[in-house]
Amino acid sequence: MSLLKVDKINKSFGTLQVLHDVSLEVQPGERHVIIGPNGAGKTTLFNSITNHLPITSGTVYFEGKDITNLPAHRLVHLGMARTFQKNNLFGDLTVEENIHLALTAKKKYRHDIWFSLTSRSDIKKETNQILEEWKITHRRDVKINNLSYGEQRLLEVLLAMASKPKLLLLDEPTSGMSPAETTQTSEMIQRLPRSMALVVIEHDMDVVFAIADRITVLHHGEPILTGTPEEVRNSEMVKEIYFGGGAKKHA
Amino acid sequence: MDIILVQLITGIAYGMLYFMIAAGLTIILGVMNVVNLSHGALFMLGSYLAFTFINNGINFWFALLLSAISVGIFGIILEKVLIKRVYGKVLEQVLLTFGLMLVIADSVKWIWGTEMQTIPAPAMLDMSIPIGDMAFPVFRLFVVFVGCLLAVLLWYLEAKTRIGAIIRAGVDDRAMVGSLGINVGAVFTGVFIFGAALAGLSGVLGGPLLGMYTGMDSEILVTSLIVVVIGGLGSWKGSFIGALIIGVLEIFGKVWFPSLSMLIVFLIMMVILIIRPQGLFGREVA
Amino acid sequence: MKKNILYAVLLLLVVFAVPQILSDFGTNLTTEIFIMAMFAMSLGLIMGYAGLDSLGHAAFFGIGAYSVALIGKFVTNTYLIIIIAVAIAGLIAFITGAVFIRTSKFYFLMITLAFSQLIFTLLWQMKDLTGGADGMSVSAIMNLGFGDIFDPQTMYYVMGIIFVAVFILLRLFVESPAGKITKGVMENEGRMAALGYDVRVYKLLAFTLSGALAGFAGSLYSFYNVFVSPELSAWLFSGQVMIMVIVGGVGTLLGPAIGAGVFIFLQNFISTYTERWPLILGAILIFLVLIGKGGIIQWLKLGVTMIFKSRPKNNKVSSTIQPEKEEIIS
Repeated sequence: MSLLKVDKINKSFGTLQVLHDVSLEVQPGERHVIIGPNGAGKTTLFNSITNHLPITSGTVYFEGKDITNLPAHRLVHLGMARTFQKNNLFGDLTVEENIHLALTAKKKYRHDIWFSLTSRSDIKKETNQILEEWKITHRRDVKINNLSYGEQRLLEVLLAMASKPKLLLLDEPTSGMSPAETTQTSEMIQRLPRSMALVVIEHDMDVVFAIADRITVLHHGEPILTGTPEEVRNSEMVKEIYFGGGAKKHA
Repeated sequence: MDIILVQLITGIAYGMLYFMIAAGLTIILGVMNVVNLSHGALFMLGSYLAFTFINNGINFWFALLLSAISVGIFGIILEKVLIKRVYGKVLEQVLLTFGLMLVIADSVKWIWGTEMQTIPAPAMLDMSIPIGDMAFPVFRLFVVFVGCLLAVLLWYLEAKTRIGAIIRAGVDDRAMVGSLGINVGAVFTGVFIFGAALAGLSGVLGGPLLGMYTGMDSEILVTSLIVVVIGGLGSWKGSFIGALIIGVLEIFGKVWFPSLSMLIVFLIMMVILIIRPQGLFGREVA
Repeated sequence: MKKNILYAVLLLLVVFAVPQILSDFGTNLTTEIFIMAMFAMSLGLIMGYAGLDSLGHAAFFGIGAYSVALIGKFVTNTYLIIIIAVAIAGLIAFITGAVFIRTSKFYFLMITLAFSQLIFTLLWQMKDLTGGADGMSVSAIMNLGFGDIFDPQTMYYVMGIIFVAVFILLRLFVESPAGKITKGVMENEGRMAALGYDVRVYKLLAFTLSGALAGFAGSLYSFYNVFVSPELSAWLFSGQVMIMVIVGGVGTLLGPAIGAGVFIFLQNFISTYTERWPLILGAILIFLVLIGKGGIIQWLKLGVTMIFKSRPKNNKVSSTIQPEKEEIIS
């Protein structure tokens, strides 16, 4: 059984149809990258999968369960998490406090109104683990707003990963990054545990080919090709719409 | 049967009055995103100004015009000096307009006293027509007429004119209005003057209908806020329908279940909000 | 924990110092301030920690106050009366809140305002039960297990100690998982949902707790004032308590309490000289918006910064009344 199965979903905004019978399957542990020119409907596809936008028709299955109409927060508890294209963090809180918020989502005591959150030993331990694993312990007390853009991008991923999802959706993890930061992020994504499946929207072709097991090409809201990186690299059709026609490769 | 008809028309007259007040309130909220708690006080001010004009021998129609203009001019000053400082800051709006309401209402109390007053209906409308064997004041019909006239005018403004298009765009997407090269500040001032003048005008029309008393500002504010909530922020159509519902319910409620009329109005509002959290004709908040 | 004990001790010192400094009249006024401070803190909780700006919180205060007046006719145990009153206020907050929190910011303001006025009208119109516009006197007498409390002195200490306890409880809530999550929902609702939180649960939780606390303050007011009237639920009173919160400082726990103190003091002080208190209050509010420099708490902080200039740079006072992240008091 595939981990995620998107079955012929359609999404329109008024008369504008953004997604056209999109189907997609992701296996457990698979790293699946979605590429396509701007306006191809990639982020809309993400928002449709996570029900941030209600879709017009079609079905989304997660581990065989119909999740089409489940609210976003339920998906996390099923094992699916996502990041956002624009950094979407708690700017006034510190790195540590942001991680606390993310970790508490799956704790039984998340409805506790009595005992201090920071005095919980499991939260402390897990936070330290994350901080150490990603070598940001020295940044723990820095407010998000005072972090560099690249650090914020990293934290965006760390928050989503805190719930230990089976499937993580990354929306343009390298957008707005310098080449050096992009390389770092690409390496970071490759370091993610293989047990976690990834669906990544990405523009940078070096990153795409570095991380992808399989690639889906989206064009005008339709998946025109799904295959291995080799197949996509050699596809004349992809070259035509993606690299030809005046469209530049994104840096 | 006749009595029900009389109550129905009276309810519609009240509804039309509420519509006139709510039309200003809803557009100030929808376009400027300002919650104007002093709107009821402007209504009150209109009433009392007309009262003084008429007591000094000015005829009703002229007093109506003068009051609306006076409150409109007062609105310009408010917007230019005070309101424009609090755009986008909800809590400061509450502080400011609550303060304005207190200042206006308490000044009215100071100047005109606490006795209940009323404005006599103008001579040409100060009569009754028979409905069955009941006498029905013509002035109420006149209020219905003015309300409908305003509704048509606003519909025309919204659907057919450039100003209307700007206002509609302002409710839907405020950033767009600015990017179209339209002077947003001027639009805001205009909208506020319009709302204030309308409040003043309806204050005069409300004089013969509701009378004038301490606390009327607060009462009318609450009623028109409920109308705005039911109808949807920034929607004249919604305000029209909401005001009709509230006006008719209020009159029937007062007659049939006097102690529960407010509860019924509130419950209706809650039901509408459960089904449509953005009001009947409100735009979905993205 | 240590900080909480420190706060409790400091505040209790204040409670015990006031009667030594102020006259009997001043002490009695401070009793009222303690009650209003609890009311203001209940609103400050949802405004500053859940982003819910309610213009109708007096509804719950009035419900608490009238519950005591009505239940007190049949029940004599003070604890039982208060528990029932708080439960009623909390339950009504839960039911109405479930609808209110679905709406957007302006709607929330307007609906809560209407709700306040609804309770006011009901109290006004249900004459047989509530005495209507004349209000009703409260027959229940406070007895916490050490005799009936009549004299203002004892009443003062009881309210003072309860106030300190409520403040500490609110501090615990703000530091608890649910409290932190609620604050997170206020900052960034969409992200909290994406992290796996059912954001409505937390908004409703905060609203219910806050309504129950407002009801608690109302029930104490009933014992203190031995008379209740519909105005306790009027939206004008709701507006006043919101003013206490804003003027005191949104986003802090103690700010609203200080706001309540300043408000009640000014109201009494100015009312002894003139009938025009509403006019003067209105003028003060307009003036405050014109100078626009945050709440009293923020001024105090500004003062502290000016005295101890060595404090780090991020201690600036916001130019608006919007909440600042609190470090000194929260």
